[in-house]
Amino acid sequence: MSKEDFFIGWSAQTPRVDRRFMLAASAGLIASAAGAGALMASAHDSAVGGRWDGVVRDWTGLLLSEPYPLLRTLDLDGTPRTAFLATSRKTAVRAPAHLDGAFVRVRAGLIARDNHAMLAVADGEAGIVADAAAAPASLLDWPAVAAGDVMLTGEILDAKCWFGAMRPGFGRTHKACAALCTRGGLPLAFCVGSVCSLGGEAPLLLDAGGRPHGRAILPLVADPVVLRGRLVQVGDVQQIRADLGAIHRL
Amino acid sequence: MAHGYRVVQWTPFKRAFDSVLLLSVAAFLIAFIAASLAAFPGERAVSAIQLLIRAFGACAFALLTLILMIGPLARMSPRFLPLLYNRRHLGVTCFLLALAHAGLVLVWYHGFGAINPLVSLLVSNPRYAAIVGFPFESLGLVALLILFVMAATSHDFWNAVLGPRLWKALHMGVYWAYALIVAHIVLGAVQGEKGPIYAIVVGVGAALVVGLHWLAGAREVRADATLAPEEEGWLRVGPALEIPDQRARIVTPAAGERIAVFRDGAKIYAVSNVCRHQGGPLGEGRIVDGCVTCPWHGFQYRPQDGCAPSPFTEKIATYRTRIEAGVVFVHPTPEAPGTSIAPSLVEVSTP
Repeated sequence: MSKEDFFIGWSAQTPRVDRRFMLAASAGLIASAAGAGALMASAHDSAVGGRWDGVVRDWTGLLLSEPYPLLRTLDLDGTPRTAFLATSRKTAVRAPAHLDGAFVRVRAGLIARDNHAMLAVADGEAGIVADAAAAPASLLDWPAVAAGDVMLTGEILDAKCWFGAMRPGFGRTHKACAALCTRGGLPLAFCVGSVCSLGGEAPLLLDAGGRPHGRAILPLVADPVVLRGRLVQVGDVQQIRADLGAIHRL
Repeated sequence: MAHGYRVVQWTPFKRAFDSVLLLSVAAFLIAFIAASLAAFPGERAVSAIQLLIRAFGACAFALLTLILMIGPLARMSPRFLPLLYNRRHLGVTCFLLALAHAGLVLVWYHGFGAINPLVSLLVSNPRYAAIVGFPFESLGLVALLILFVMAATSHDFWNAVLGPRLWKALHMGVYWAYALIVAHIVLGAVQGEKGPIYAIVVGVGAALVVGLHWLAGAREVRADATLAPEEEGWLRVGPALEIPDQRARIVTPAAGERIAVFRDGAKIYAVSNVCRHQGGPLGEGRIVDGCVTCPWHGFQYRPQDGCAPSPFTEKIATYRTRIEAGVVFVHPTPEAPGTSIAPSLVEVSTP
């Protein structure tokens, strides 16, 4: 090795042998970086359905505060639909007590996945106002039908993210967000199956009495669990009712 | 240290190196985003923020893996020394990528809620006693703090202020950071994905880092096991003229650091093999402009007294030498750093 072949970082001269090697290494590095990035991204998990379209519209319908604040309304295609209410953040919106059971109008953006819907109310509680003019009879009579006892495996997740606020909105990396949404009082869903990304049904998760679980369920959120409970159909919303003691981490 | 410092001592090579680094990072991020958008159009598309979170995180891991491969590769081939010299630029870039990943995670997954995002980061998953369900975010946070400390103290100013030993010990924290990041990915993204891609990436990356360190370590162990033969208290180095001009032969005493025995024309010198800057192997360097020059970062020492040329103040130990019948011997007891020792002279035939 001659003196000229010895690399000294602070020197203005770089040996020819090092220049040649670094030129080849640079080309290889840039190509490898692009290849590795493309390979990883084409093989990672995608989102599966659900979207938050970002358009704020007027929605009218029947306001109910139980089990979570919800609006029985007509979907964009005119289909009667239950839409849960939330703020545009990771918190629930309170249904004004004097409007519980009344027809109202809200300005909100639609978060929807298949037949599941949630409305992100633009102005929170203040954005829910009485609107007696909008009272289609189809929104009034939604009977509850018990479908039977079941044992299901799956994942407890917050409905807002799974409906499309997050893409994807399930799994280990989403656990913190699901916990935050749960703390914020948002509805919980139970994603049936071992992998939520396969899609399918996600019934609303309630306790055996049909009430929200509250924060006690936080340690189980976004983990694989098995539960024994009762399926109940209320209008277009499927519910799985199970007490905390009937839910076990896998 | 008496001399002033610049933020970056730019050279044409360093500018080219940083350009390639930025191009490589851009290539990774653009390819990652483009491939995901192409593979998952419409309702299958990952949201823009979540895609950036994945892209920055994956790029930071790939870059840190590369950074940790450079050390052992440079021990096995001098061709990788230019990468070693500029490694701190890779480290700072890696920290910035990790910071972007963490910042977006904090806003997207922990923001917009009823509690402070930093509090959410630490309490959203309380299963600190679990293994599989461990809150992997906290591992990433600790790794990010280590990378921050390393990036903030990467400049030679901090090496001089903290001293080489403390600085080196601090920067060995990169191995803790890498282990924490591997655990962060395994307990997070790997468990969350239904496909094996992240498991494969983290497995291959960790295997490369461990494998290369094992190979380089094995070479060092073999070198340490080959002790120089001792004759009456002196170590036999070998025929003087077998030492290439302006290069060194490294000998290993029974105790203490390795010794670099240099030949500069007809003069034979012996100094410590360990550079005061970052512990580089001086004996693998050469004499440039009359000074022993470290192959790692170009630190220089006068061979006759082990002192760095002015304005630098570092000193290394020197050793006594003698020549008998053309064979060089070195005494294994180091003199105090900076001790001047006259060279032994060898007869060099000139054409």
